[in-house]
Amino acid sequence: MIFCEETIPVSTWTEAQAKRGLPFSGQAVRVLGGLALAALIYVGVRNQGHWQLLLVFGLLFGFILQRGRFCFASAFRDLFLLGEARVMKGILAGLAVATVGFTLVMYTFSPTIMAGRYIATANILPLGFHTLLAGVVFAIGMSLAGGCISGNLYRIGEGYVASAVALLGIFIGLLLLGYTWDFWWTASVSYSPKIWFPQSMGYVGSMLLTLLLVGISFIALLWWESRSRRHGIPIREAAAVESPGLGGQVRAMASRVFVDSWPVVTAGVLLGGLNTALFLLHHPWGVTGALYQMADAAATPLGLSPGTLTGLASLGGACNVGSERGEAFGLSHDSMIVGGMVLGSFVAASGAGEFKIRVPRQKRRLLQALIGGILMGYASALALGCTLGAFFSAVPSLALNGWLFAVGLLGGSYVGVKILRRLA
Amino acid sequence: MGETVPVVKLDVRGEICPYPMFKASEAMKKAKGSEVIEVLTDHPPALLTIPHEAVKLGWDVSIQRVASAEWKLTLTKSQVSKEGKT
Repeated sequence: MIFCEETIPVSTWTEAQAKRGLPFSGQAVRVLGGLALAALIYVGVRNQGHWQLLLVFGLLFGFILQRGRFCFASAFRDLFLLGEARVMKGILAGLAVATVGFTLVMYTFSPTIMAGRYIATANILPLGFHTLLAGVVFAIGMSLAGGCISGNLYRIGEGYVASAVALLGIFIGLLLLGYTWDFWWTASVSYSPKIWFPQSMGYVGSMLLTLLLVGISFIALLWWESRSRRHGIPIREAAAVESPGLGGQVRAMASRVFVDSWPVVTAGVLLGGLNTALFLLHHPWGVTGALYQMADAAATPLGLSPGTLTGLASLGGACNVGSERGEAFGLSHDSMIVGGMVLGSFVAASGAGEFKIRVPRQKRRLLQALIGGILMGYASALALGCTLGAFFSAVPSLALNGWLFAVGLLGGSYVGVKILRRLA
Repeated sequence: MGETVPVVKLDVRGEICPYPMFKASEAMKKAKGSEVIEVLTDHPPALLTIPHEAVKLGWDVSIQRVASAEWKLTLTKSQVSKEGKT
C-alpha cells in the first residue's frame, strides 16, 4: 500500500517491536474469559433461531473493528484535522466490496424491480432535509465523543470508561428523538421520497454508478491529500530478524494477526464482505435499532417510553424499532450483534495487550463524551441509522440516502474539528 | 548523541484521539534546540497518529512498551533531511 509519492524515512518504529519484550499482564486470562463468556451466551441462546449466528457476526465485527482501528470518527475528522484520508480509504474499500455483494444479494432476493417497491431489509431510507441535518449533528457528536456508535462499542471492549458514558448518552439521545419523532415525521420524514437507483437504471447500472461514485470519492481524497500537502506516511515495518524456521514463521504470522494493528483497507474489505453475508442472512449491519430497543425497554418501567413511533413500521432500515418489542430486557436478535461487537473487541484488545481500564483524568472529557453521545443518539434515530446503518450499509444498498448522510457527516466533521481545537 | 540533552516529558495517558497527537504536536512545535520529547500514552491509535505527525515535523520516533497497554514514544529531532533518500 502506498499512500504518498515521497517516501519519508521513518526511524526505528515497528509496532511489533514496541509490543515485544514485556509480558502482557493477565492477557491470557482475559482472552479465555472473553471467549468463555461468548461460549456461554452462544449456548444460552441455542433455542433462538439464528441468534447464535448473529452473535458470531457481532464477535467478528468487534474483532475486526478493534484490530483495524476502524474508526469512522477519525476517518471524517482527519480529513479536516490532518488533511489525511488513510482511514477513509479503508471505508471506501469496504463500500466497494459491499456494493458488489449487496447487488448480488438484492438481485437474488428480487430479480424484478417494480416501481414503488423496495427490498424491505435493505437500507433504502427516506431521503430529505432530515437526512442531511442528522449527518451534520451525528458528526459533531462523534467528534466530541471521539468515536461513532460502533467506535464507542468497540472502545468499551478495550476498557474506555468514557465510551461507556458516551453509550449512556446515545441511549438518552435515542429516547429524546423518540419524544420528538412526531415533529420530524410531519416536518420531513413522512413526505421524503426513497430514491433507489435500480428503479431507474437496473441493478447493474446502479452498481456501476455506485462504484463510480466510490471511485470518484477516492480520487477526490487523493486530491485532498495532495492539496493540503499532508500525506499519509507509510510506516515501514522492520524486516523480521528471527530465523525463518516454521515456528518463527507461525509466530510472526500470529503476531501480525493478533498483535499488530491491521492495515485499515484490509479491515474495510473484510467488513464489506461480512456485511454482505449478514445481509444475506438477516439485514445489513446496523446497531441503532437494537440500541433503541434497549433504551426503550429501560425507559418503559419508568414510564418514560416514547411508545410506538408513527409510520416507522413502514420504513424499514436499520432502525426497525417497534418490531420485536416485548422481548426480555429489550434484547432482540440484533442485540446479539451489539453484544458480540463489545465482546469481540475485548478479546482482540486483550490478545494484543491493548486492554486497559482507562478513566480520563480531566472530568470534562466525560461530559464531552456524554454530550457527543446524546447528539449521536438523537441523530441516528432521526436518520434511521448511524454511520453503519445510514452510511456503510446504505451506500451499498444502491440508495441515494447514504450519500446525502455522508455529505452531512463531512459538514459536521468540519464543524466538529473546530470545536475539538477549542476543547484541547 | 549528547548525554545532556534536555528531556521534555509529556504524559497524555487517559486522553483519546485526537488529543495525544495534538499535545505531542504542540510540544514538538514549541521545542527549541535538540530536545528529546518523551510521550507516555495508553491510547493505541496514538502509536500511529503521533509518528505520522512527528515525521511530518521532521522528528524521529521510537516506541517502547512500558507496561500493559502503555507506551513511551521517544521523539528526537531527525538527523536525516526530509529530502533524504529512503
